[in-house]
Amino acid sequence: MAASGSGGSRADNGYGSQQPRRRKGPGALATAYLVIYNVVMTAGWLVIAVGLVRAYLAKGSYHSLYYSIEKPLKFFQTGALLEILHCAFGIVPSSVVLTAFQVMSRVFLTWAVTHSVKEVQTEDSVLLFVVAWTITEIIRYSFYTFSLLNHLPYLIKWARYTLFIVLYPMGVSGELLTIYAALPFVRQSGLYSISLPNKYNFSFDYYTFLILVMISYIPIFPQLYFHMLHQRRKVLSHTEEHKKSE
Amino acid sequence: MGQYRQPIISTCHFVSYQVEILDWKTKKQLCFLDKVEPNATIREIRLMFHKLYPRWYPARQSIKLDPKGKSLRDEEILQHLPVGTTATLYFKDLGPQIGWTTVFLIEYTGPLFIYFLFYFRMPFVYGLDERFTSSPHPVVNLACICHSFHYIKRLIETVFVHRFSHGTMPLRNIVKNCLYYWGFAAWLAYYINHPLYTPPSYGKKQINSAVIMFLLCEAGNFSIHVALSDLRRNGSKIRKIPYPTKNPFTWLFFFVSCPNYTYEVGTWISFTIMTQCVPVGLFTLLCFIQMTIWAKDKHCTYLREFKDYPSLRMPIIPFLL
Repeated sequence: MAASGSGGSRADNGYGSQQPRRRKGPGALATAYLVIYNVVMTAGWLVIAVGLVRAYLAKGSYHSLYYSIEKPLKFFQTGALLEILHCAFGIVPSSVVLTAFQVMSRVFLTWAVTHSVKEVQTEDSVLLFVVAWTITEIIRYSFYTFSLLNHLPYLIKWARYTLFIVLYPMGVSGELLTIYAALPFVRQSGLYSISLPNKYNFSFDYYTFLILVMISYIPIFPQLYFHMLHQRRKVLSHTEEHKKSE
Repeated sequence: MGQYRQPIISTCHFVSYQVEILDWKTKKQLCFLDKVEPNATIREIRLMFHKLYPRWYPARQSIKLDPKGKSLRDEEILQHLPVGTTATLYFKDLGPQIGWTTVFLIEYTGPLFIYFLFYFRMPFVYGLDERFTSSPHPVVNLACICHSFHYIKRLIETVFVHRFSHGTMPLRNIVKNCLYYWGFAAWLAYYINHPLYTPPSYGKKQINSAVIMFLLCEAGNFSIHVALSDLRRNGSKIRKIPYPTKNPFTWLFFFVSCPNYTYEVGTWISFTIMTQCVPVGLFTLLCFIQMTIWAKDKHCTYLREFKDYPSLRMPIIPFLL
């Protein structure tokens, strides 16, 4: 249970690779809705990207850029929760559990760490994962959009299955450093912690929970990373052969 | 193997089959059985294969028609399978196996003893100052009695009541199951026996009604296990529809396919009410989810196998689920 909040940066997991085959599944209405959803999400993450660049140019420094994009980041990252529903209703053929796990880990980091522990918001590690997420999400959502429209440019496909090599470790380091930076403040304030005695006979130590979350990255990160590398080999080599034969 | 060969020689009109067994992954031929009797069962083929590969005893073997398909059952007969006179079967090693009785004994002994570590407040569980002290709340003693009773009952049933339809489970699963049962037992016991435990809000009334419900559910669960075991009394492996008997606890069979699970969930709900402890509630929820999955599975099997299956029955909760 402790591990449920972890999983780290969803640089990408390859579950969207089934997207083009989705055609037979949902009807026209669902497809239309998915296109709109993915376009909106792409736009949203583009807003965040532009916000970051503008704030950087205005300030001339990359410190504390978080405040300039706080609202859209929270909004669009929370909007990713809909992806769980898409899987649950079967209009996207991915595993509900896996998707929920990945989305929740990000939402957890956005709200339960960065939003809740004000002191970490000025850390550079926040910027590290925000940049990694932003680039990943722009590519991922546009990948879905183009796939749904059946016109997937090779560049987007290539980017989706290549950039994670750098972005994924980058996001994970940002996330881990941010949680680590939050630890002393959580311990000091007793944030989200419940202690005995209480009539529900239950206690919860958020500090310990965060440590467990960090530990859970150790088995999960390499697994996802190698899964993605494998996926990359499968998807990209396949298309190259396909192109040659054409 | 000789005993199977005998009839082929004496009755020449039989077409004998050739069976080759390949590894399901590498597709390498593991063995080639010449002259197999057409009415040989998969069980017999397993035994022949076992003779050639002593380390893969029959329960470890998964024999399939398709490398990625379902395992063939022991009773299936070679000539009834969709194969020519040269049958290609695929073998998959299921890993070391362990008998169900052993599995249950290990799984249930753990919680029984782990709970005591907390009940008696072993040193280092709640700190040295609290070691070997006891709780001032009588409900803590009652909870310990109920918890122990529950697992002792399960152990007794495992030895004297249950008849398992198929023998074994993979050794790997036992580690997983033990972590689940033992871990949760420790987690629950930690809170129930904690020096800072708060007794239930509605006092005696809450505790007493929970105990009554607990005992009724345990009696019900036991009755169902006895009824199910009676269905297989003469060692038969044929599946039958369980029906309500004279024992009123089994009348739940009118409404659900797996009343033993219904009662089991009931015991855990009453234990939650008795202790008023959130972790117990979480464990109850997980048990409920798991048992619903099993119950649905079994319900579907009943529906598939019996055309006259009572239509009123639901898998686990009457009229609902």
